[in-house]
Parts: sequence; structure tokens; C-alpha cells
Amino acid sequence: MNSFWNRFSRNKSAVLGLFILGLVVFMASIAGLIYPDDPFLYSRFPLSGPGVNGFLLGSDSIGRDVASGIAHGAKTSLLIGLIATLAAVFIGVIFGAFAGYYGGLVDDVLMRITEVFQTIPSFVFAILLVAIMKPSIESVVIAITVVSWPAVARLVRGEFLALKNREFVQACHTLGMGDVRIMMAEILPNCLSPIIVIGSLMVATAILIESGLAFLGLGDPNVMSWGFQISDGRSMLRVAWWICTFPGIAILITVLAINLVGEGLNDALNPRLRERN
Amino acid sequence: MKLPKFMNAVIMTAAITMGGSAVQAQQAGGSMVFLVQPEPPTMAGYVSTSGPIGLLGPKIYDGLFDYDNDGKMIPVLAESYDTSADGKTVTFNLRKGVTWHDGKPFTSADVQFTIMEVLKKVHPRGPNSFKEVSSIDTPDAHTAVFNLGNPAPYMLRALSAYESPMVPKHLLEGQDIKSAKLANNPVGTGPFKFTEWKKGQYIRLDKNESYWKEGRPYIDRIVGRFIPDASTRAAAMEKGEVLYAAYNAVSNVEAVRLNKEKDNISVTTDGYSMINPMALIEFNTKEGPFTDAVVRRAISTAIDRQYMIDTIFFGYGNPATSALSSNFAATGLHAEMPHYPATGDIAAANQMLDDAGYKKDSDGVRMKAMFDLIPYGEDWKRGGQYIQQVLGEIGIDVELRYEDVPTWLKRVYHNYDFDMNLNYFYQLSDPVLGVHRHYGTNMIRKGTHFVNSSRYSNADLDALLGAGMTEPDAEKRSAIYMEIQEILARDMPVVNLFELEFLTVYNTKLKGAYGSAMGAYSSFADAYLD
Repeated sequence: MNSFWNRFSRNKSAVLGLFILGLVVFMASIAGLIYPDDPFLYSRFPLSGPGVNGFLLGSDSIGRDVASGIAHGAKTSLLIGLIATLAAVFIGVIFGAFAGYYGGLVDDVLMRITEVFQTIPSFVFAILLVAIMKPSIESVVIAITVVSWPAVARLVRGEFLALKNREFVQACHTLGMGDVRIMMAEILPNCLSPIIVIGSLMVATAILIESGLAFLGLGDPNVMSWGFQISDGRSMLRVAWWICTFPGIAILITVLAINLVGEGLNDALNPRLRERN
Repeated sequence: MKLPKFMNAVIMTAAITMGGSAVQAQQAGGSMVFLVQPEPPTMAGYVSTSGPIGLLGPKIYDGLFDYDNDGKMIPVLAESYDTSADGKTVTFNLRKGVTWHDGKPFTSADVQFTIMEVLKKVHPRGPNSFKEVSSIDTPDAHTAVFNLGNPAPYMLRALSAYESPMVPKHLLEGQDIKSAKLANNPVGTGPFKFTEWKKGQYIRLDKNESYWKEGRPYIDRIVGRFIPDASTRAAAMEKGEVLYAAYNAVSNVEAVRLNKEKDNISVTTDGYSMINPMALIEFNTKEGPFTDAVVRRAISTAIDRQYMIDTIFFGYGNPATSALSSNFAATGLHAEMPHYPATGDIAAANQMLDDAGYKKDSDGVRMKAMFDLIPYGEDWKRGGQYIQQVLGEIGIDVELRYEDVPTWLKRVYHNYDFDMNLNYFYQLSDPVLGVHRHYGTNMIRKGTHFVNSSRYSNADLDALLGAGMTEPDAEKRSAIYMEIQEILARDMPVVNLFELEFLTVYNTKLKGAYGSAMGAYSSFADAYLD
């Protein structure tokens, strides 16, 4: 663990990313304490600039606090990113593991299914899915999961293909282990590193997709999110720049931070690639 | 697409020089580009009342009359009319020498065909407007005699080119009206002829050289441009690429800014009094949490109407004070009713619910409900989110639902699978035309959009609506509608929120386009460029 941290911390930008991400997580976790009111609560002071009428980052057209929205929106964005990624990784690992391990017909069938999903541009597909289901937090998570898992499946399949003929796997066969046990307990732990890396980057993508959907008006109208704030303020950009600027910055730095952390994880978990710089 | 700076300067100079010569009034010529949002599906104004069709149709088709901003009737294809003493015969004297764009003469047979075969059969509101018309006699080519079953004073408010366009019999007779080719190749008697439709870009209309009105139209060409993105529309207006944008094609917030920042851009709320849009909430009165009128009245009491107008529509609108728009006051059909406070009274609303025995639980919640929002953009979503907060304060915990248009229409008007629904209705020029459809038992029409989705049914009200429809005496009619408003203020199957004021944003270069009560849905025959 120590050496992992050493390798990770050698990448200074990754440490910075981790720090920023920590701040965002902290902000999300105390959002309810610093802004106990509903972030949708209107006030009598619409379109106040930053610092005016007690709004740190200004208020929107019906007087909602932009800062409160960002704090509460952080929770939404992170949760969606995390849950959608976990679900996508779970599905992707199962598809990839079976396809890679068994090969042949199983591989063909599973990979053709994966390709069907991969041929549709992922954001368009996500829009379609949310539009078919009603826009809600669940449908957004499902849509992001559905468009994200094929990448994991392909990666895991490749790893399994490479590992399944290695000596330790053959040893397991000779010991009479079952296929599922070999896959999950022996091969999977050996290809965890790339999965963690792709997973961490997927969280960033998921946050972006969620924001994009909310921006297009396909977010859950009951849940505050950064994408919603931007779409709500976009038409007023010329009059009240702060409504969409601050959530935009929040998305930018969060996604950047997650990407930096992902890079750092990649360096730390794949030491052989580390020397490339 | 970016022009070098000096090119801009050259164009600007050219524009100024050309503009400089236009000193005398009502100068003929020029192209008028305006915003049409969204692109219309067809140009068959005789089949659909859809907004974008209304922007173009009345420039191609004429009506029998137009209306000025005071509501006075202006002769168009009809020069005058006579109503018999019993109100059951209305005779229209038609203009002579009018021809269709294809050269054929316009006659009383066209009027007869339009009303009886087209508007009464396929138009969304025609069956209502001309309900009492049993037959039309055509004693000669320029006289049309409407025979009515009962007096129908409201019919005379529905004769504009938008509401009842006159269509050519010789191009529609014997065809299926809904699928006739005329829909995409319109031939009318109006001041402009259809020339070109470039899908996704624009529709072009050219001057009708043989228009019946001497010297009109002034403008050579009208182009309706389709620009899907709201900020691009505002930018086109700002740059002077388009001269006219109605029905909030340029959003209120941008309109207010342009009006303030640009000397050559103005806004007006004129031109919508025959449309009378009303923002409202429809309740499901048959099942769910809102079967009790007390709850509906409490909701009406709690909402701060003025706040919604000020913050969401930037000050444009008037708080509703009854089931009927205050624009009907001119005809004596409007009175202020209780339970429509302009600024909202949370305490009173809570009191009403307490008194009715709706207890709050430990979370302060009396009841839960689903709130559907009209899927027409951010303004309505914002409005819904505001109302959600207000209802939270009186113990009604609502969840918002925002779906695509077909799903929403099906849910509300076909499946009745909703609790409360944020929406807006056109009350039009007379309650018979725009309001009756919301409340009458006969207007509970499964699958028909924008009718009585509350499924509110009250025999007393039905009788009054029937009486209001046929009563020719203004004073008696006024008394009938007072009673109607009292019943609706008590039962509130629909809570009216505020009278929307649509904004028309225009470049001051465009003159003479503002004289009709139909506003953007008028012919523009008198419009000219300065």
C-alpha cells in the first residue's frame, strides 16, 4: 500500500486532482449542513449578482441560491457518476469475463451484443433512453450505465484472453477448480488495475453525460444538478452570467480532478508504463 | 462565416445610405424577414390552428373580417353584414372583383364551401364557432346568407383569416380535405402569394400584384425564417437580420434586454387580445388527491401569481382573477372572484386545509401528488418548481414530471393519468370559443387535446354554458357569465394563474404591422419598411 501511494504521489497533478476531488466530496457531504434549505427554495431576490443580497454566487431567475445549488448538485453528480460506473463495471466484467474465458461461440455472441451497443453514438443513445423512460434520476443512471458498459466488457475480455492460458490458470485447472471460481477469484484480481483506471475515468464521463442530459432538459426536475443549473441559466447568459458560469466551473474542475486521479491511478497500478514520460 | 471588420463597415454604410432615401411614408418595396418558430408542419390553416401556421396563413388567405386593436370589425372579404331581428339569419355582402392567386374569381360558393365543408368538419375550433350554422344560401355570387339554429353572437368574433380562412372551393372540392395538396401549395386571396418553402430554412411569400386592396401590399416579399436555437434567434433580431418576432420567439429576458439596449428594437404586447392566453393548473377531479374542491381552492389561494409573472415572465402578464380573462371585461363578461389573490396567502390556504380536516403528519405533509408540467421549455419548468415549493409550505408534497409532448398529451387528455397539470389555454375572443371547452360535460372527450381533462361535470353549469352560447342580449349574457364565474370560483376544476402576455419584438424599421388585434396572425397588407 505504501509503495502504491509512493508511486501515485510521484505524479503531482494526480495529488492535486485527489485534493480537489476530496474537496468536492466534502462539499457534497456537508451540503445539507451549510445549506439546510431545499436548493429549489425560491426567494424574493431574483437575479442577484454574486455577493448581492447575501448570495455568495448570486441567485437565479426565481431567486434560488446558485451556491446552494452547486453544493447540493455535487451530491447528485457524484452519486450518479459512482452508481452508474459501478453498475457499468459489473455488467462489463461479467460480459467480458465470459467472452474472454470461454472464447468460441460464447465470445462471438457476447461480443456481437456488445458491438450493437457500441455502434450507437453513446450520448445520442443516452438521450434516446431517457426520452423513452420518463426523465428521472433512475432513468438517467440506467441510460449512463447502458452506454458505458461495453468499453469495460471489451477491456476485460482482452485481459481474460491474455491471462487464461497462463501457468497459474492452468494450475487451477489441474487442481480441479470450477470455471466461475477461476474467473472471479483468480483471473479477475489479476486484471483489476486497468478496470480501476477505466472505472475512475468513467465516473468523469458519467458526470458529463448527466450534465449534458440535464442541459437538454432531460434531467430529473425534482433533483438539483449542475447540468440543470446550466440549462436553466443559459437563456439568461447575457443578463445574469453567474447562473451557468459557476456550475460550469464546478463541472470543469470536478471532471478534471477525476481525470487527474485516473491518470495517477494508471501510473501507480501499471508501474511498467510509468517510465513512458 | 466571420466577415472582416472592414466588410462590416462597408455593409453598414450601404445600409445607411439606402435607408436614408426612405423619407416619405408608406414606401413600397423591400423584403421583410421575420421569425417563424417552430417550422410549421403544413400551411393548412383550415385544418390546424397551430401557431406557426397562423404566422404565415393569414398572409396568404383572407378572412371575411379582421379586427382592430379595439375589437372593431374591419371588412376584408365581406364588405358588410346584417343580422336579422331574431338573430337567426346573418347576411354577408361579399367584396366584388376578388380573385384567387390562380386567377379564378372568389364567390359566395367559396364561402359556403369553406364554412360547411371545411371549417365545420375538419377545423379544430370550427365545429364550435359555426355550431349553429345549419345552411348557407347563395342568392348571388356576392351574397352569403347564414341560416342559424339559434342566435350565435360569438360567431362574429371568429371570422379572421387565422380563425376562419376562406379557401378555394375549386381546389378542394371532391378531395379529402385533410390530405389535399393545397396544404403545401396554398392558394388564397391574400396580399401575398406562396412562392417557395425551403425545408428547415424558410418560407418565402411574394407580393400578390392583383390584391383587391388598391396599392397593397407595400412589401414585395415576406420571408419566414426558422431558427431552432433561442439565442441565435435573439442574435438575429439584434443584428437586424430579422425584423419581427412574435409569440416569444425571442424570449422575454432577451426581449427586455434588446428593448433597453437597442434604439431600433421595440417590444409590444398588442396583437394577442383575440388569443387571450391563460396559464393555469388543471386538476383531476375524478380520482387522486384533488377530488375535493377545498384543496383546489387552497392551492389557488397559496400561489403568488404576481411573483410568477415578475420572475418567470419578466413582468409581462396579469394575475387571473376569475375563470375568465379580464380581456372579456370589454364585453361585460368578466368579474373579479374570491380565491384568486394576486400575491398569494399561505396562511389562509393552510387555514382552509386545517378547517377541512386535512391534518399534517410529523413531516408537515398533508398529502402527496404528482405534478405534470407542460413540456414547452424552461419557463414552465421553473414555474412548476416554484409551485412545488409553495405547495410544500401548505403541506402538499408534489413531485414534478416533465415528459415529451406526445406522452404528456396522451397522459392528460387520453389516459387521464394525472393529479395536477400546469398548462396554458387560449381563451380566444369569446368564452364560447375558448373557455367552454374546458368545463362543459360535453367537452369530456377522451383523446381530444385541450378540452375538459378535469372531467368536471356540473349540470347547472352546463345549462348556463348553453344559455351563454345563444343569448343575444348583452346584459343578460353578462349575468349568465357572472353566475358561471361564481360556480367556477367555488368548484375550481381548473385554477387560472395568470393571463400570459406574449411579447412581439420588432425592429422599428417595420411599420404599419400593428393595427390588427390578430397581431402576428394578421395579413401584413398595410406593413411597410421605413
